[in-house]
Amino acid sequence: MAELIGGCGTSHVPSIGIALDRGLQDTPDWKPFFDGYIPAKQWIAEQKPDIAIVIFNDHGNAFFLDRVPTLALGVAEEYQIIDEGWGKRDIPSFKGAADFSWHLADAMVEGHFDPLICREIELDHGIQVPMELFFGRPEEWPVKIVPIFVNTVQYPIPTPQRMWELGQLLRKAIESWAGEERIVVFGTGGLTHQLQGARAGFMNREADKAWLAEIGPNPEKYRDWTREQFVETFGSEGAELIMWLVMRAAMDADVRTVMSHYYAPASMTGAGMVVLENEALATEEAA
Amino acid sequence: MSASKPDTLASDGAKTPIPDTPLFDRAGSHRGYEMNKMAMSLVSAANREAFAADEEAYLDRYKLSPEQRAAVLARDWQEMVRLGGNIFYILKISALDPMPVTAIGAAQVGMEHEDFLVERLGKERKNG
Repeated sequence: MAELIGGCGTSHVPSIGIALDRGLQDTPDWKPFFDGYIPAKQWIAEQKPDIAIVIFNDHGNAFFLDRVPTLALGVAEEYQIIDEGWGKRDIPSFKGAADFSWHLADAMVEGHFDPLICREIELDHGIQVPMELFFGRPEEWPVKIVPIFVNTVQYPIPTPQRMWELGQLLRKAIESWAGEERIVVFGTGGLTHQLQGARAGFMNREADKAWLAEIGPNPEKYRDWTREQFVETFGSEGAELIMWLVMRAAMDADVRTVMSHYYAPASMTGAGMVVLENEALATEEAA
Repeated sequence: MSASKPDTLASDGAKTPIPDTPLFDRAGSHRGYEMNKMAMSLVSAANREAFAADEEAYLDRYKLSPEQRAAVLARDWQEMVRLGGNIFYILKISALDPMPVTAIGAAQVGMEHEDFLVERLGKERKNG
C-alpha cells in the first residue's frame, strides 16, 4: 500500500518565484523568509516522496473566465510551465503521476466529486512556488505530481466544508491505491492577503500565526468557518487558505506539527509553511 | 457537517458585504469581462508585442467600454478594479511597463507607495 508520509501547507506567492529568478534569496527582504524553509527542504529530502499531490488555484493563467471549473484534476504525463505574461520561467516541466491521477479521478467521481479532467494543461506559480520552496531548483523534479485545481477566483468559490470532504476522499483514494509509492500532500495559498479594493494590503499577522499553530491540532475550527470568515480574516485572496483544509483532512485526526514558519510581508502577503506528520506514523518509527 | 454561521457568499457576492473588499462575483465578472479578456490575451508574447507597438490599436480588438479603455490607457488600477477588472488578469498589463504589485495595491487604496508599505504592510520606512 502507498504510504502517506506527511502533509505540507505553504504559501505560493508569485514574488517568491521572482525573487528566486533574480537571485534575491540572501537580500535582507528575503533571507528570513527563505531561511525558514531550510528545515522543510531537509525534511522532504529525507522523506523522499515519489508523488506530490498539490492542491492549488490557477490565477487566471490556464483558465480564463470563459470556463471556470470549481474543481479540476490533472491526469497528464507531463505539465509544462505557463507564460503568465512575463515570459515562461526557466524551471523544469513537471512529470505527472498519471496512473494515480486516473485512480483519483475514479475515486472522486464515485465519491460524487466531479472534477474537470485535464489531459493537457500548463501550470502557474500556484504549483511552481511550493515545489521550488520544498525541492529547490533541481534539473529535474524528484517527484511526480498530481495537480488538483480549486477555483478561488470567481464567486461562488467552494466552501471550507467541501474542501474538508475532498481531503477525506483523497485519503481514501491514497489508501485504496495499489502502488507502493510514498505520497506527500500539499495544501497551498495564503496566508493573509488582499490585492484588490480599498482594503488592499490588509495584513493579519495574529490570525496567520494562529492558523499555523492550530491547523494541526484544531482544524475543525476552520473547517466550520464560513467563506465570509475566511475573506474577513485573511483578506479576499487569503481565502485561498481553504485549500489547506484538503491537505489537513487527508491526514489523521492526530498529527504532529513537525515545523512551521512565518514571515510577513512577502510582497503583499503573510507567508507561511507547516509540515504535519500523522502521530501514528511517528509512534511507529519510534518503536 | 455544517458551517458555524450561515454562509451567504454566492455568485451575487456576500449578503453582508465585507467593507472595502470587492468580491469577484457575477456582477464583477460581467462588468469586467472584456477588459479582463484583453488583459488575459497578454499571456502571448506576440500579443504583448502588438500591445506595446500600438496600444490604441490593440485595444480596438476588444469591446472595452470607453471608461475601461481610458482606465487601461492611464494605468488607473483603482478604476480598472471598479470597472470589473480582476487583479489576476489586469496584473498582466503591468508586465508591459513593470511596476510592483504593492504599487498597484497602493494605487487602489489611494496611498503613496511608501506609506502603503509602512502603514498597511508593516515594512520599515526607507525614505524620510
